[in-house]
Amino acid sequence: MSDNKTPFTRRDFIKGAALGLGLGAIGAMGLYSYSPMSRKHISQVQRKLADFGVCRGVKCKVISETSWFDNGTLMGDIKAAGGLLVDQYTYNWPPFGDGTGLGKGSYDKGIAKIKHLLPHRLEEAWELTKGLSVHPDNAGGFAALVEVEDMDGKVHKYLLDSGWSYKWMDEAFKREGIDKMLANGEIEALIISHEHFDHYWGLPVTLKYAPNIKMYIPDTFYPSGLQYIADSGHKGEVIKVKKGLRPILPGMATYVFDVPIICKVFGEQSLYFNVADLGLVSVTGCCHQGIILFADTAYKELKYENDKFHGLYGGLHISPFDDWDPKYDDLVIGLKKWELEKVGCNHCTGLVTAKKFIDNGYPVVRGTARFRTKDTAYLGNGDSIQFKKA
Amino acid sequence: MTAANVPFLEARKLEKRWKGPIPALVNLLFTLAIFYATWWIFQDPRGYMRLYTPYVGYNYTRWILIVLIWVAYIFDFWPFKRGWMEKAHPVTKGIVLTLLSTGVLLLLIKGFFEGLLGNFAMAYFNPAQLTKLPGVTAFFAEEYAATACLMFAAIASWLSPAWIVAMEAAPWQDLKQPARGLSIWIVTFFLSTLVYFMTMHSHMGILYYPWQYFTAITPPYWEQFADTVSGNFHIAWIMCCTVVVWLVETIWERYPFSAIKNPWTRRLSLFFAIIAISLALNFFLYYAQELAWGEAIRGSRRDAAPDWRWLHVGETAIFFLVPALFLYIYCDNWPKKFSTPVNMLVRTAITVLGGLAIYALYYRYAHLFLGTQKGFSHPQQFPMIPMIWLINIWLINTWFMDNWPGWKLTMKTDAELAAEHAARAAEQTWSPRMVPGMAVGAVAGVALYFLVVWALPVVSNAVNLIPK
Repeated sequence: MSDNKTPFTRRDFIKGAALGLGLGAIGAMGLYSYSPMSRKHISQVQRKLADFGVCRGVKCKVISETSWFDNGTLMGDIKAAGGLLVDQYTYNWPPFGDGTGLGKGSYDKGIAKIKHLLPHRLEEAWELTKGLSVHPDNAGGFAALVEVEDMDGKVHKYLLDSGWSYKWMDEAFKREGIDKMLANGEIEALIISHEHFDHYWGLPVTLKYAPNIKMYIPDTFYPSGLQYIADSGHKGEVIKVKKGLRPILPGMATYVFDVPIICKVFGEQSLYFNVADLGLVSVTGCCHQGIILFADTAYKELKYENDKFHGLYGGLHISPFDDWDPKYDDLVIGLKKWELEKVGCNHCTGLVTAKKFIDNGYPVVRGTARFRTKDTAYLGNGDSIQFKKA
Repeated sequence: MTAANVPFLEARKLEKRWKGPIPALVNLLFTLAIFYATWWIFQDPRGYMRLYTPYVGYNYTRWILIVLIWVAYIFDFWPFKRGWMEKAHPVTKGIVLTLLSTGVLLLLIKGFFEGLLGNFAMAYFNPAQLTKLPGVTAFFAEEYAATACLMFAAIASWLSPAWIVAMEAAPWQDLKQPARGLSIWIVTFFLSTLVYFMTMHSHMGILYYPWQYFTAITPPYWEQFADTVSGNFHIAWIMCCTVVVWLVETIWERYPFSAIKNPWTRRLSLFFAIIAISLALNFFLYYAQELAWGEAIRGSRRDAAPDWRWLHVGETAIFFLVPALFLYIYCDNWPKKFSTPVNMLVRTAITVLGGLAIYALYYRYAHLFLGTQKGFSHPQQFPMIPMIWLINIWLINTWFMDNWPGWKLTMKTDAELAAEHAARAAEQTWSPRMVPGMAVGAVAGVALYFLVVWALPVVSNAVNLIPK
């Protein structure tokens, strides 16, 4: 240590002050930041309780939840193409295959091969793209028919997503009678949850039967995704939904979240329903924003019956490839506090997650495991779930 | 003390080839060009090898950093002779030493972790073992193995340099290489293994369904405190340790601990101070996110999830390491004209501002260049990867290439070394006369903290970094 006999100087004071400044700041950081006292500085969000009306009930029919049929094949493709950050349009999956192989394709090259066949000559288009694409038979798709009963008893039908494989989705549409509903104009709109291949690339299958259908898409689509709407032969209105709430009917609204997603996709649109005497029901394509954030957003923004999150249907994007991460356990644990009364999950929820839900006592509605759905823990292809006060 | 018996990096004298900021700018451009070229070749999802899967590329990035530290700091470039280090062209040295580091890296990951541990100890280090489990795809087998390996790397990247910076290589500081390097390497590797088991093994244990109750503590002991079962809670403070150890070594010049005369008191107090400062930084950076984005919600995804918030603590800390290293490597640790505490304070202020600027630039523009997605919390994106990739290139440039092309290498004379040590000893002192200033400074520090606490929500509401 230095000697103490020299007089106190301004230099000593400044040296001490500089050192003390760091000590004080670091000390406060360490002692205060994670203490109970620190909570008082965190802004508490005031509930907005926006009224988006009420409906009598919602029924969801699973047209297809099997987006792909073999995880190993899909993840093998993703691995070989360079991982989960690679642009989906470059994978060389159908319908954008151009024969150059994994990770070397593009939207422009792929669509050029089949554009002239869309949307009415889908069988030819699929046969053509099969020869140019990687693992075309692994493609399935996600789509659901959403039937909303208003308070007057009238039923409004919406299509949530349009799947992936032209062949698989066309068969599924015919199996569930969706083709006729579209052709008859019974379905009021197509709501696209997000731009992912398994929800969106089957768009021409819907347009084959209803080219003028109104479409709701998140306003976060990339240029290729937007171009696909025109290239698929769509003639109707396209509503680009901005981040936040978009009421559709009394008791039905979509909500767009700005979230970055794997395979270079951005943004997801999900559905809220306020069901009379039951409460909030969520219907999701993949729910990349996370079901708890979706529920919490509703809690902060919306007014709904009984102030109760009653139930959900759809993909929850937890372990879509039967992968796992401890943070998913946080979800299984954290979702309990919402005390859900009816859970219909499938698709990208992950079978491991569905089984953990069942293990943890969630009221999971079991399916019938038909039409290539793998397990009864999922609400499977051809199954349906209804949210309505008996 | 002679130049021959101090480490090579300490015995070096780097002289600028040109006056003013030109060498720094030239080296910045040079290293950024190398960064972008190598990023495209190895990491970019649009590029050649596409290792940014993300964990495979992340794993290599983290371990390169540690191997560089081993080569330069722990083994003092052994087995290369001092004469070769002094005379070989910087580009030759850069290529040879980088190739050596890459060889060590591959031996370590493929040989030690995947081959030895993965086949004879814990299956999760080896992708081939993991694919034997039902339902585990080859892709995620590789990602899980890389995750385990890089979690080990996070710990080693704190402990390896800490043994030199804080413990001053004691008690082996007087041994010759390779005995000195091997001793430190074995001890830090052993400590890393201990810390790994206590912080990360449970994270890996709950990757399996059902949880591996018989082989790991599940749920982990930190669950209630951290509001998550994820090991990201530990990644947060360990990454802060990695950053703080280098702040101590560079812009803080090991002060005020360097003023402690008793060697073991000095060493131990600095070693534990690094941990204490890191924990403070860790809790603050978590709190900063709560102030900016609201309270975390357990079980949610993305930027509201506690596990992501803890991870983002580590990510944010790394943003601050970048300007600190730039200041030290290419700006001669500017400023040096004031007393050590004032120099430290000014450098810290520059580092904080620089870190914030890089943070903002990264989230605003990086997706346009790196082949990544815009947004804060993409589950497969880690800003630590490009940041550490850049840091690796800077370390190669300064440790292996003597800051070529902006600088040239000469060696300090024994007299210069002695004078440097004497000057440091005279300057880096402690006196009770500093206490009044310290008291005032401490009050100002606390006030500054609460000013930041007040400002963060306001700034967060006013600024949106993510482009539409």
